[in-house]
Amino acid sequence: MPVTSYLVLAAILFCIGLYGVLTKRNAVIVLLSIELMLSAANINFVAFSKYGLYANVTGQVFSLFSIAVTAAEAAVGLAILIALYRRRGTVEMDQFHSLKG
Amino acid sequence: METNWLDYDWSVMLPEATIAAAVLLLLVIDMLMKKEQDRRFIGLLSLFAVLAAGVAVAFGFGKEQTLILDGSYLVDDFSLVFKLLILGGTTLILLSALSQEKSKEIDYKGEFYYLLLAATLGGMVMVSSADLITLFVGLEILSIASYILVGMRKKRLESVEAAWKYVVMGSVATAFILYGMSFLYGLTGSTNLDVVAERIFEVTRGGYDSFVYLSLLLMLVGFTFKAASAPFHMWAPDVYQGAPTPVTTFLAVVSKTAAIAFILRILRNAYLPGLWSMGEWQDVVSKILIAIAVASMIIGNVVALRQTNTKRLLAYSSIAHAGYLLVPLALFASIPQFIVGNDVFFGSIVYYLLAYMLMTTGAFAVLTIIERDRQDTDIRAFAGLYRRSPWLAIAMSIFLISLAGIPITAGFFGKFYILLNAIIVRNLWVAGIMMVTTVISYYYYFGIIRQMFFRPPTESKKISIPLGLAIVIVIGVIGTIGLGIMPKWVIEFVEGLSWY
Repeated sequence: MPVTSYLVLAAILFCIGLYGVLTKRNAVIVLLSIELMLSAANINFVAFSKYGLYANVTGQVFSLFSIAVTAAEAAVGLAILIALYRRRGTVEMDQFHSLKG
Repeated sequence: METNWLDYDWSVMLPEATIAAAVLLLLVIDMLMKKEQDRRFIGLLSLFAVLAAGVAVAFGFGKEQTLILDGSYLVDDFSLVFKLLILGGTTLILLSALSQEKSKEIDYKGEFYYLLLAATLGGMVMVSSADLITLFVGLEILSIASYILVGMRKKRLESVEAAWKYVVMGSVATAFILYGMSFLYGLTGSTNLDVVAERIFEVTRGGYDSFVYLSLLLMLVGFTFKAASAPFHMWAPDVYQGAPTPVTTFLAVVSKTAAIAFILRILRNAYLPGLWSMGEWQDVVSKILIAIAVASMIIGNVVALRQTNTKRLLAYSSIAHAGYLLVPLALFASIPQFIVGNDVFFGSIVYYLLAYMLMTTGAFAVLTIIERDRQDTDIRAFAGLYRRSPWLAIAMSIFLISLAGIPITAGFFGKFYILLNAIIVRNLWVAGIMMVTTVISYYYYFGIIRQMFFRPPTESKKISIPLGLAIVIVIGVIGTIGLGIMPKWVIEFVEGLSWY
């Protein structure tokens, strides 16, 4: 079944992304890792739209939607990171610890 | 199948169109205005738009359900009730934000209002979508607008840091939801929830049941992030603390309502019909949901005990309330005649959300006044409030008593109703955990009441209460007590709606 290899690729990407979000100290790398996770989902959509149980074009449409939406999300994330860099002077995640309780 | 786009009944989208038009109009007006011009009317205009949309929603009740945009946008009683809740919450938040015009709480006045409206629009799209794509787009409109709202006070470090945490956690949640949706699409070949429901039945029988559960689990991970329930609630206290107070209220009330509606829609329209008949629902899904609910109740209430910041305390309390709200969600299909029993469970969810909205916005409005007065959100800022402003202290006590779930308040009846349903379906240990955690919660709610009544005030100056916040507090008090005395009213209305 050819879809398996695509699913495995997507799963590996998703896991790398999640690992990056959880462990990386550099905030830019964290944003990139999130993009990896979202791309994994897109690969799934496109693979399923060709080799899924009920293959049709909807998956490709969904992936276009999600690419557009996640681009907006990444833009907002970067803007917030720039604002944070101006306040803090660093993009190291472990320096962001002013909220505690 | 092919329908001309002019043939759709576009009038059912009037509320969304109103809000969208207001967002675009205010955006352009704000851009054309000079920097030093007075922007107060932008807030009034957005309040007007939200009220107009609310009226348009209210007129939609009692009509046939309408499906437009090739089956992707569904306007039925379910979506209308949730839209009313979302718009009601936004109205209260706008009222309390309007009277903060002069304070430094929000620097960028225009942006605040149209981002708030955009987030509201996202929530409204979410609750009435019958398609995974619409659902995802609605969710993202809501999320992206709230990321910016949290970081609104960009000169304050806490605000930007909270926004950063929120954007990272929120994007991870989005990735989980999208990944889960991709499996759901792969199994069923459709993004339409009705088609998905039919095919889930087939694929579960066809040996793909593990993938069905995988997709559901991935979406549940994302959902528990968005609704701030355990085990992925860690962002909530930090973000609630760092965000401007009106935005915190928005996250606690409107975002949570939209997230509950999201999971309700997905579970009820997509998974429940396919998984129910063979008992997989009761054996697997219901158990997972109960575990989430119980974990939220325990974590929220126990960790709240050691909070000294009121905003963080209310954040943990909102995690606990997410847990209570998940109990009917977890149990609603566990009785055999689930179609008959459904309205009862939806009735308790909607009633609880309404009560939660009134008491939480009220409590945050009082907190806003204290924060303006003392520049501090520590619970010690409430010290001696009864001596300085007795009415404010009494109003806050009513909200806290309602949050704690003590009789004749809306919060009591909401909890009682959920508890009763849990006992009817013989899930006694969930009912027991709910009662024990409620009793635990008395301790920290009464901690604030103790500060207000039994601690000496640090200064004796009268507290000034701005008009907008006063209106919010009065609405909150009347609603909390009124719903507590006459719960039948709302319950009968909600149960009289058609849920299918």
